[in-house]
Amino acid sequence: MTQYVTEKDVRDMAAYARVGLDERELVQMTEDLNSIIDTLQPIRQFNLEGVEPTFHPIGSLSNVMREDEEQPSFTQDEALANAPKQQDGSFLIPAILGGGDA
Amino acid sequence: MANVFEMGVRQIRAGLAAGDFSARELAQESLAHIAAQDGRVHAFLEVTEQAALDAAAQVDAAVSNGTFDQMGPLAGVPVAFKDNLNLKGTHTTCSSRMLENYVSPYTATCVEDMLEAGGIPLGKLNMDEFAFGSSTETSAFGPTHNPWDLERVPGGSSGGSAAAVAAGMACVTLGSDTGGSIRQPASFCGIVGVKPTYGMVSRYGVVAFGSSLDQVGPFARSVEDAAFAMQAICKHDPRDCTSQQVETDFLGAIAQGAESVRGMRVGLVRAFMDAPGLAPEVRTKLEEAAHVLEDAGAEIVEVELPHANAAISAYYVLGPCEAFSNLARFDSVRYGYADPGHKDLGSQYEASRAAGFGMEAKRRILLGSYLLSAGVYDQYYYPAQQVRTLITQDYVQAFERCDAILAPASPRTAFKFGEISDPATMYLSDMFTISINIAGNGGMSVPCGLGEESGLPVGMQVISPAFKDENMFRVAAALEATYGKAPVAPGFCPTEG
Repeated sequence: MTQYVTEKDVRDMAAYARVGLDERELVQMTEDLNSIIDTLQPIRQFNLEGVEPTFHPIGSLSNVMREDEEQPSFTQDEALANAPKQQDGSFLIPAILGGGDA
Repeated sequence: MANVFEMGVRQIRAGLAAGDFSARELAQESLAHIAAQDGRVHAFLEVTEQAALDAAAQVDAAVSNGTFDQMGPLAGVPVAFKDNLNLKGTHTTCSSRMLENYVSPYTATCVEDMLEAGGIPLGKLNMDEFAFGSSTETSAFGPTHNPWDLERVPGGSSGGSAAAVAAGMACVTLGSDTGGSIRQPASFCGIVGVKPTYGMVSRYGVVAFGSSLDQVGPFARSVEDAAFAMQAICKHDPRDCTSQQVETDFLGAIAQGAESVRGMRVGLVRAFMDAPGLAPEVRTKLEEAAHVLEDAGAEIVEVELPHANAAISAYYVLGPCEAFSNLARFDSVRYGYADPGHKDLGSQYEASRAAGFGMEAKRRILLGSYLLSAGVYDQYYYPAQQVRTLITQDYVQAFERCDAILAPASPRTAFKFGEISDPATMYLSDMFTISINIAGNGGMSVPCGLGEESGLPVGMQVISPAFKDENMFRVAAALEATYGKAPVAPGFCPTEG
């Protein structure tokens, strides 16, 4: 079978997609992706010259704006209710700057 | 009291109005049936007993104070929802570890519409993780079993929604369909399943998979019950910018039963009938169903969908690309699983998404990541959108010659657990349903009895032009007049024996 992606490619894509993969998963994923991408080849074999793309089934779609009026929304507590970690009414995350020991 | 597990919407309404039973009794019987039977099916991830009893109390109050006839069309009807539909105060897990502890802070419009119509909410239903699958085997909480044969899959991704209705555990359920996820499980479980035209039903509050493909629709044991549900959920919603204002009279369309199809032109697609992988027993049923419609006064015409064979590859480009982008929201910060003990945000992201997502979800994310990458985008994603144009044009041209198309819902009947382990082969399960999502028009699966070889339910798919979903209901009504309403699966009906 044609190799479309290498293990290194998959590792890079996983890093980009922020999905950790262990070594065993990396091997399996590389094999699976090559097999799936192989089934996608028909898409490259059509004569599509001059065919306009359809990015969305509702072609006439335009942006919908509502009147700028106050409407009910979540309270701060409701918005935070599903947060894995929170502190002082805010989402709590690990350090994003510096050495990470802050 | 009469057997609630087999009752349809109209029977329930009549029984409540006549005082034959109360909504409370109905809710309790349904909850007891779930408690007794769901151990072997595993359709439900959460049972909402209190919400069911509260809703039933409102119906009973209306009956006793004489306002019952003002209640909505689903008053007292036991309903349940796929677990990617938000219902305030319930878990909405999408069958993923990522959302195991997520509690919905609001209710999806389609769910709200079902409850406003008077539905009694029984709970939330199992599915393939984030709707990625055709068998419900990818659920992080264990698979759902097909009530017709517990060793077989119910189909997917809305497997729990289909199995619950087939086992008589709910009268109407909602699912979602991105490439066949309502029609294929409906066919495997021998019930009616409707994928409305894109834009007919609001997706507000539905966890997104492929935003240009996703649509919500009902499962039921009769075409009429599905029509009642469609009447409740097909309306414009200002909170979903794809939601359209369309007035469709589903109940009126089917009022004449078999006669509903008289004078209609129903298309057959030769390439579908000759498709490699189509089981002979399904092909036999397709031919039989065409004769049924002809006998009922429909004209059968042959139509072509020349680009239908490109649909699967287009779908497995578009779906993962949209999923990749939709699943980026799971950041382990605002909600969802957060892997503990990380000192920087990057490693928390990677570890949380590694532990929270199952293998199929990771496959689709990484496939989307690949297909959207520089240099690859032009080879797959852009051509897939061009192919979408061709497929859409195919349907427009085919519907110049017919009012609806008859096709298989699935190439075969329900398969056994583990029987299909290769992801690329699993993707072929949706070979007859996918092109409809790509074009955006409506499709529904209608039970047509049992296959002569497998003895398992076979569903036929009826396809409508966009926003003419009443057409497929007319054809469905005529099929049902011959094949009968869907029975509760053998072994799940307490009146048996």
